Amino acid sequence: MSEATPREPATWSDPHLQPAAKHPDTVEGVIGGLFFAGFVLFALFGAAFWQNWAAWTLGATLGGGMLLIGIGITAWGKYLMPRGPFVEERHELASSPEDVQAMTNALVERGAEPVRRRKLLGGLLAAGMGVFGIVALFPLLRSLGPKPGTTLDTTDWAAGTYLVDAFGRRVNANEIGVGTAMTVFPEGLQDTDRGQGVDQTFLIRAAKVDIQGMQNVPNGFVAYSKVCTHAGCPVGLYERALNLLVCPCHQSMFAVLDSANVVFGPAPRPLPQLPIAMDRKGFLYATGPYPEPIGPGFWERS
Amino acid sequence: MHRRRRHHRSLAVGAMLGTVALLAIAPFATAGAATGHRNAAHRPPSHVIPPQNPEGYDAYNSGTPDSSIRIFNKKGQLVVYGDSAVLYYAPQYLQGLPPGEQHSTAALYSLGQALYQANCQACHGPTANGVPFPHKAGQQPRPGSPGGYPDLQVVGPATIDFWIESGRMPATSTQDTQPVRRPARLDHLQAVAIETYLNTNWPVTPYVPVVNLQGADLADGATLFSLNCAACHTITGDGDALANDTFAPSMRDIPATQVAEALRTGPANMPIFTGNLTDQQLRDVVAYVVDKIQHPENPGGAGLGGLGPVGEGFVGLALGVGLLALIGFWIGDRS
Repeated sequence: MSEATPREPATWSDPHLQPAAKHPDTVEGVIGGLFFAGFVLFALFGAAFWQNWAAWTLGATLGGGMLLIGIGITAWGKYLMPRGPFVEERHELASSPEDVQAMTNALVERGAEPVRRRKLLGGLLAAGMGVFGIVALFPLLRSLGPKPGTTLDTTDWAAGTYLVDAFGRRVNANEIGVGTAMTVFPEGLQDTDRGQGVDQTFLIRAAKVDIQGMQNVPNGFVAYSKVCTHAGCPVGLYERALNLLVCPCHQSMFAVLDSANVVFGPAPRPLPQLPIAMDRKGFLYATGPYPEPIGPGFWERS
Repeated sequence: MHRRRRHHRSLAVGAMLGTVALLAIAPFATAGAATGHRNAAHRPPSHVIPPQNPEGYDAYNSGTPDSSIRIFNKKGQLVVYGDSAVLYYAPQYLQGLPPGEQHSTAALYSLGQALYQANCQACHGPTANGVPFPHKAGQQPRPGSPGGYPDLQVVGPATIDFWIESGRMPATSTQDTQPVRRPARLDHLQAVAIETYLNTNWPVTPYVPVVNLQGADLADGATLFSLNCAACHTITGDGDALANDTFAPSMRDIPATQVAEALRTGPANMPIFTGNLTDQQLRDVVAYVVDKIQHPENPGGAGLGGLGPVGEGFVGLALGVGLLALIGFWIGDRS
């Protein structure tokens, strides 16, 4: 390698410098046409935006213009640029033994100790892992979000809270027929994030004869938390004839007529049941909060 | 759609300027086109006497006969109820029957009787009380379990109309877990005749809802749809699988009346939406279904069946990655 003969200087007659295309002038014309068409499409994109044309014309003109110009640039590089291959000479990379010895002597003369290879690598590894661990702490702490506060343990349901639908209207037991299902919220909170997230409750009217063994089911009305005990998805799929509540995320199934016991799927416990009652006019209200925390389990859940 | 004033300057100059200026804000570009199609206006039948007790009726209008509009015939039978959004007709008073024949109640009754005996009686029995579904003592029978047939005396014309006009009845098999929508085997007149026959012998509501889609609030309809329907039918209305071999069917190509009937009667495993939906809310959600769900706008181009990430990801992989691979080969290939 060290005996490399200097190459002759390149000339225009060198075949390495000729373009790949047989007819470069034709290719040049085609590429020019592609560029021109691409810029016309960009102009059309501007016109489309300016004139409020349909959304797909925006994407078609902008994307088409970029595609044509990209094809043109690639074709330029492939067919018009010098063909190559080109070789660039360079000197040998490794130091000569004399240079290595001189370097070692210089280091020892200044009092440096030879560094042990394994020790160095171990130190580097420890430092790297340490930095990585510190860096990993920041997104971890940051991504935990705000503290949950009392959300995990309690909801806004309390004794005397009336059930309302999504439009804030109280639920009257006399209007709701057997087989009806609806999502209810604590009165006044139907439009809030907390009301729609934590407090959402699924109200079902079942036939009286079917739920004789259950508590807090006035006239066949039964109310369960809509937050799945597995991963917190809204359990809103009510199968009337099968009397099943199905969670759309992982297909947990809860038996409506059997205290929402889990009959299938990964949910670890039944949906908590909201105790409800009817007032004199037939409006439904909660007689107390949920008897247990709703939603998925967590570490301190008692 | 609002169009801005056309400038008299050269369009090309403006377009070039626009190109430069608007490249950066392209992602925010939207285009909307609102289209509306509505049913023809409907009116209450003129051949019945007006409400007998109109004063001070404080009805909630949620699909039950306790409605602000109640019309009785000369015999004192309730034939129409509802409000301006939805009117529920006893079957023989439905309009739009094919002309050319005299569709008196008596004619419909005898036609319906013959059709019932030919198509329905084998399973539902001569007195339409069906066969009880197998069930444990002290519990309600479970509709849908094999060996039983629903009692048609108690379901009402809306239920009969839905099952016949959606092609699910007469059934092809008694073993289906869930009958599917098919081309109707009985036409509209025959369905109305059977409903008239049953409703004359065993009058019961709900009647057949006729929805007046004019004035519907599509925004409220969308809210109600996402709250009550989307859990099972998906947010695009394409339907999805449910428990125990059941499924929520697609909502494409379903007439407004059948959407309303399904909401008010709850076919098969669907909940019954009576009492918690007013007639106006029913109209809103039906309008949303027949307008937006059945005619999606798909501003991005092809809707790909509304299947969501699965379908879109498949197309993205097959077309997008394939195209990129071809381009990559072309770029990397030595010329």
